[in-house]
Amino acid sequence: MLCQSCGKRQATTHIKTILNGELKEYDLCSECANKMGYGSFFGNMGFDLDKLFGSFMDSFPTASRAAKRCQCCGSSFEDIARSGKVGCANCYDVFYEELIPSIQRIHGRTSHIGKLAHSAGTQVKIQNELARLKSELQKAIREQEFEKAAQLRDSIKELEKNNT
Amino acid sequence: MSEKKFDTLKDVNDVVISTRIRFARNLREYPFPCRLTDEKKRQVASIVKSAVLDGHSAISGRFGYIQMSELTQEEAVSLVERHLVSPEFISERQGRGLLLLDDESVSIMINEEDHIRIQVISQGMNLESTYDLADKIDTLLDEQLNFAFNDKLGYLTQCPTNIGTGMRASLMLHLPSLKESGAMGKISSSLSKLGLVIRGMYGEGTEPKGAIYQLSNQVTLGISEQEAVNNLRDIAYQLVTQERNARENLKKNITIQDKVYRSYGILQYAKLMSNEECMQLLSNVRFGVESEILTGIDLPTINRLFIEIQPATLMKNIGKKLTPQERDRIRAELVRSALMKPQVPSSHRLEE
Repeated sequence: MLCQSCGKRQATTHIKTILNGELKEYDLCSECANKMGYGSFFGNMGFDLDKLFGSFMDSFPTASRAAKRCQCCGSSFEDIARSGKVGCANCYDVFYEELIPSIQRIHGRTSHIGKLAHSAGTQVKIQNELARLKSELQKAIREQEFEKAAQLRDSIKELEKNNT
Repeated sequence: MSEKKFDTLKDVNDVVISTRIRFARNLREYPFPCRLTDEKKRQVASIVKSAVLDGHSAISGRFGYIQMSELTQEEAVSLVERHLVSPEFISERQGRGLLLLDDESVSIMINEEDHIRIQVISQGMNLESTYDLADKIDTLLDEQLNFAFNDKLGYLTQCPTNIGTGMRASLMLHLPSLKESGAMGKISSSLSKLGLVIRGMYGEGTEPKGAIYQLSNQVTLGISEQEAVNNLRDIAYQLVTQERNARENLKKNITIQDKVYRSYGILQYAKLMSNEECMQLLSNVRFGVESEILTGIDLPTINRLFIEIQPATLMKNIGKKLTPQERDRIRAELVRSALMKPQVPSSHRLEE
């Protein structure tokens, strides 16, 4: 499809916007999209998702890619790469190796820090708690709250002991 | 919302209009929405709905459920204009549901890009308590639902850009001076290097109207919620400082002062006003108040007008469909009555 603004270049950006109370959808080329202030996230980050997945996929022989499908939702990696959408939670396990380079480029990191769901593994929960206690300990020392620091140190020891 | 916290941060409300925290969550047992049939979407909606409404928490009873397919087009668009749902959410309404808290500070979108999008919004700069409430609601749901979570990748989402914390924290900022001085392009590109992004008023893929921007964190993996919120706050304070500096220069400029007074005049007396013109004039007047060129108008009134003058919200509040010209007439009336209330005429200050 051609860009609806310039009518010359290929449209690559789909815009949904509210204009005068109506939902409008446009297909624009990246140049016109940028001009109109629709700079995309991927544009801002200096790459676009299609290209990212696309170039990565090129390094795989087509046959082996087509063969693997997620048994849970039926997605192939090609489906994911084309739509930029992962099919289900299980896909992240099945296509972990394929997805991780893109994840690395999007976030700059590949492992989660922060809140854990109750379904998280016990080991991760303990490690998360340890990391939290240690950063609190650092803070207590910095602020010279030695009584609190001693308590925190004991909790850390206790947790590490139980963990081994 | 703790009044005290609100008070100590009130000093940046000249720039910060509102605060928003959003969590993306999915149910482990179901494929993500792009792979769901309508039937499965209904199942997901009913599971999430009962997890919220039948919960034992005090907040459960304050939620109402809206089936998106049952709304009129105006009602749906008005939800976007009031920042309660994303434009994406109303583009296809089949199988989508919305849980809305009675005071509209919390909205839970079901089957948007992810099964669950929890969003908490509050006025002014209010990151801590907004985050706390979102976190609390998330924990309540986590106790009842089996969230898709991976020890290495954190919360799993349909788009890999949201995995990890699944959290997007954003601040709505009014940056007329930075926009006027042409600095926004440069700011936008340097922010992306810091893992933050600045966009138009209605988020992804929307243009900035009335110099209102949305600043939010971009990276969600490998950074804790707290750290992301702190980063956002630090950068927001820097932008506030930059905006204020730019404002000091602009406010002495007679052309700018003229623009502010003319805008105020038009808003007080015009009989017809388009949405676009109104946004621009309100932005100019807000600048006038921020820079103390104008007095006697409070910022919350202007913030409220930014939303109430939007076409669908206008029609929703009037309770009927209106032609564009009728809308322009009612919009002008609305603004006139909001700004014409007895107040010290700012002309007194002119002689200073």
